[in-house]
Amino acid sequence: MIRRRWGQVLGMLRGLSVTFRVLFRPPVTTTYPDEKTRVEERFKGRHWLTRYADGLERCIGCELCVIVCPSQAIFVQAAENTPEHQVSRGERYAADFQINMLRCIFCGFCEEACPTGAIVLGHDYELAGYTRASMIYTKPMLTEPYPGAGGRDPHREI
Amino acid sequence: MAEPPATVTLTIDGRAVTVARGTTVWHAAEQAGIDIPIFCYLDRMPPLGACRQCFVRVEKMARLQTSCTLVAEEGMVVSASTPDVRGAQERNLEFLLINHPLDCPICDKGGECPLQDQTFAYGSGRSRFVELKRDFAKPVSLGSVLVLDRERCILCWRCVRFGEIVAGDDALKGFERGFQTEINTPFTQPVRSKFIGNTISICPVGALTSRTYRFQARPWDNDAVPSVCNHCGLGCTVWLDVRDQTVARVRPRETPDLNDIWLCDLGQFGFEWLHAKDRLTRPLVRKNGQLVETTWDEALDLVAARLAESRQRGAGRVGVLGGARLTNEDNFLLRRVFREIVGTPHLDHRLDARPGSASLQVAWGLRGPLAAIPESSLLLLVGCDITEEYPIAWLRMKQAVDHGAQLYAIHPKPLEIHRFITGRLIHSPGAEGVVLAQIANAVRGQKPDAKVLQEAGVDPAVVAGLVARLRAAARPMVFIGKNALEGPAGTTVLHAAQRLQAAGCMIHIMRGKGNAVGAALMGVLPGPGGWTAPEMIQQAARGALDVLYVLGGDPATEVGDAHAWAAAREHTPLVVVHDLFLTATGRDADVVLPALTYAEKHGTVCNLEGRVQQIEAAVRGPAGARGDGAILLELAARLGAEWSYGGWEEIFADARAAVPGLEIGAFRTPPPLQGDWPANGALPARSADLVLITGEVLFDRGSMTARSPAIADLAGPPSVWVHPADAASRGLVDGALAQLSVGAAGLVLRARLTEEVPPGRVYVPRGYDAVPVNRLLSWDQPLVTVSLRAIDAAAAAGPGSEVAP
Ligand code: SF4
Ligand code: SF4
Ligand code: SF4
Ligand code: SF4
Ligand code: FES
Repeated sequence: MIRRRWGQVLGMLRGLSVTFRVLFRPPVTTTYPDEKTRVEERFKGRHWLTRYADGLERCIGCELCVIVCPSQAIFVQAAENTPEHQVSRGERYAADFQINMLRCIFCGFCEEACPTGAIVLGHDYELAGYTRASMIYTKPMLTEPYPGAGGRDPHREI
Repeated sequence: MAEPPATVTLTIDGRAVTVARGTTVWHAAEQAGIDIPIFCYLDRMPPLGACRQCFVRVEKMARLQTSCTLVAEEGMVVSASTPDVRGAQERNLEFLLINHPLDCPICDKGGECPLQDQTFAYGSGRSRFVELKRDFAKPVSLGSVLVLDRERCILCWRCVRFGEIVAGDDALKGFERGFQTEINTPFTQPVRSKFIGNTISICPVGALTSRTYRFQARPWDNDAVPSVCNHCGLGCTVWLDVRDQTVARVRPRETPDLNDIWLCDLGQFGFEWLHAKDRLTRPLVRKNGQLVETTWDEALDLVAARLAESRQRGAGRVGVLGGARLTNEDNFLLRRVFREIVGTPHLDHRLDARPGSASLQVAWGLRGPLAAIPESSLLLLVGCDITEEYPIAWLRMKQAVDHGAQLYAIHPKPLEIHRFITGRLIHSPGAEGVVLAQIANAVRGQKPDAKVLQEAGVDPAVVAGLVARLRAAARPMVFIGKNALEGPAGTTVLHAAQRLQAAGCMIHIMRGKGNAVGAALMGVLPGPGGWTAPEMIQQAARGALDVLYVLGGDPATEVGDAHAWAAAREHTPLVVVHDLFLTATGRDADVVLPALTYAEKHGTVCNLEGRVQQIEAAVRGPAGARGDGAILLELAARLGAEWSYGGWEEIFADARAAVPGLEIGAFRTPPPLQGDWPANGALPARSADLVLITGEVLFDRGSMTARSPAIADLAGPPSVWVHPADAASRGLVDGALAQLSVGAAGLVLRARLTEEVPPGRVYVPRGYDAVPVNRLLSWDQPLVTVSLRAIDAAAAAGPGSEVAP
């Protein structure tokens, strides 16, 4: 009987030792939004459509991301490149590209399916808006402003 | 010797399969549900054995065998999935992929590609090929509909053999040898074919793709909606692939006894007009001489008021023209509204007929199924340009010819398919009646009059050959086309045809586009005391009508005499038009109501066989436009009718009660010829001037085709075809501008020098809305002689312009 009581007290002290140990460490919570959390390298946040170093878009409008997306969040309309209007390498490019951020579950399947490494999930997690319409990210919003801005090495082939 | 049994039994993968003698091992396996991969074999063409993908192991045979070419024999033991067979299939795929660019992500075939599917199912999943691949410049554009990617081609020869075996137009050929072999047209010219879209559907890779569909969608974007092509009247079954309320492409929908797996290029590529920017969306009403936009209520109230007014003035002061582009249900409502409520007997869908022409005196359509054509051993075309008017029927005729049938054509000019024609009977214009009458007489034992035949321009020996064959033929068929029925000798042709029918020929009346047969079945024909379309137009010109109601047709361009239509328009106080675009008729009308197309409606249609088929709405259509049936119901309500229809099914149910035998999938075959037609044995007088012949062409620039860029390109510019001898004497060169005049009317066209038109005649293809050929024609004169002269390019306003000489 007494033995059992001793066991309970010991257990409680062992548990409290964690409390006391952590009590004197610096806090892990941050004062968001004044202070932003650092995310891991492989964190999956908002998408970017990346470019090669020469500025050409990587996306070829193949729609593999569309078919793989489990939440049907992506819309792509392809079109044909012309010598006067060369948007991507080869014959085909995405004339329109939209992602519905309200539907996306940030699974990263689109990034995995992409044959050219065009679509990447970046580190931006501040995805909120006042209207549903503003949560449909359009191609100009998704395309990285300069090669490498989305976080993918623009010299990498795929 | 005893007959060998009709079936053989063999074993495939341990399963006993009994098949008809002569079946190939591949088909035997298919019947047993065993999948053997193929690329080059297509069951509409004989096997070739080019791709080596279909290997099987047969016991007691030394090497692997191609199952598509191997005929099953009694007791064969076949294995289709042993490791050596699988290994061979895998290595074969690896070889095919050596030269394949594997650019699936940008390839339009991706997602529905047999090479992808089979590589996934039978391939090894890796490649050992590290060397450089074959590199051809790509893509190559072969005309306005076809795009070629030579790197992707696996040289299965399907497309080449399609041109040789199925269509007979030899559009694509193989060039160079071995590793360098490529498919192309001679000299990479734009492809010349009416069926090239089919090579896109049968190409097992993305080597041949469509220009109109290029990068438009992926298979997973599309909803496939079953529909029926509304162009030529044969009613081929199609899928409309819809992406985001837009028809992205039209594909053949397999119907073995109709279009099978084929479509003509008009059906496949002539759909972009559905989404043309200038589709009408608001009703237009003429106010102070101008057509101005208005509301539906105002437009419908106006029309209803004027119809009611006319009804007060007496019955029969309203005429209805058109109906061939509508569904059966729309046509049924049309008939009900105008016969029952407005009380007029004047309804007719046959806009393009001449007054009193033979077309008006006979039921249109095929008297037997299309699928029976290959069983015939003799086919006679009378004034019927089959590839231009009913292209899919030509594929059946080609099958008949391949089975040994003889093809004859009675026509005022050579036909495109002339090399398949046993006997060409190219007669002088207007002589078709005399020629057919001579043939009918000869079949019944009279000796043909060689002198008359020679005067008619045909070779008596060819006629004699035809007559001998007609007597002996199995299921001979005669196809009578618009040219013969609308010509000066139409009734003579019918008279002779009826006698040929008595001698055992099946007579087909090849007339009518879209749902013309359905319109006739639903009763859009003159009622008791009613006028035919040309009579209505003549009566309207005398002021006999208060309202002309035009729908699903464009009389200003379709009526064979533009002056007659202009007079009718002028003397009719109210002309109402339902249409998709502001056509020539619409521009002169008083009320124009924006309508919907076949792709935007549910309902049923009938083809020339009388086959009743269902169509489904694929897209919503432009906001503001309404279906013809819905417009008619609105009018009926305003005219006091208390009808309630809850959908097309209810209208169809009423139509079924009125038209016995109207069931989806059933045939309402028109009856055999039965009539008392006057025959005229006299030949038309010869003229020293050029005789104008006009004809339908598949690719034209009408209100719909001109808005389908691919088809408008295929049609080429409007032209007048002149024999080189006639051109030389008038100082005309190929491509020069020429002025064609009849009396005071004239047209400027580009001259096309060709021996496809005999000397003494000029040919002008109809169907170009910008070129009003019907201003040169006149109902009073079935044969028109024209004068032709070269003109200075600088002096003319350009081809198609009208001039007063
Ligand atoms: S991350 Fe997943 S859910 Fe989001 S768009 Fe990509 S595939 Fe779709
Ligand atoms: S992002 Fe990648 S997968 Fe999506 S369409 Fe572009 S290239 Fe294809
Ligand atoms: S033909 Fe088929 S396998 Fe070849 S690139 Fe196109 S989709 Fe891929
Ligand atoms: S183009 Fe297509 S159909 Fe023609 S041979 Fe090549 S792979 Fe076969
Ligand atoms: S399918 Fe048999 S060899 Fe091509």
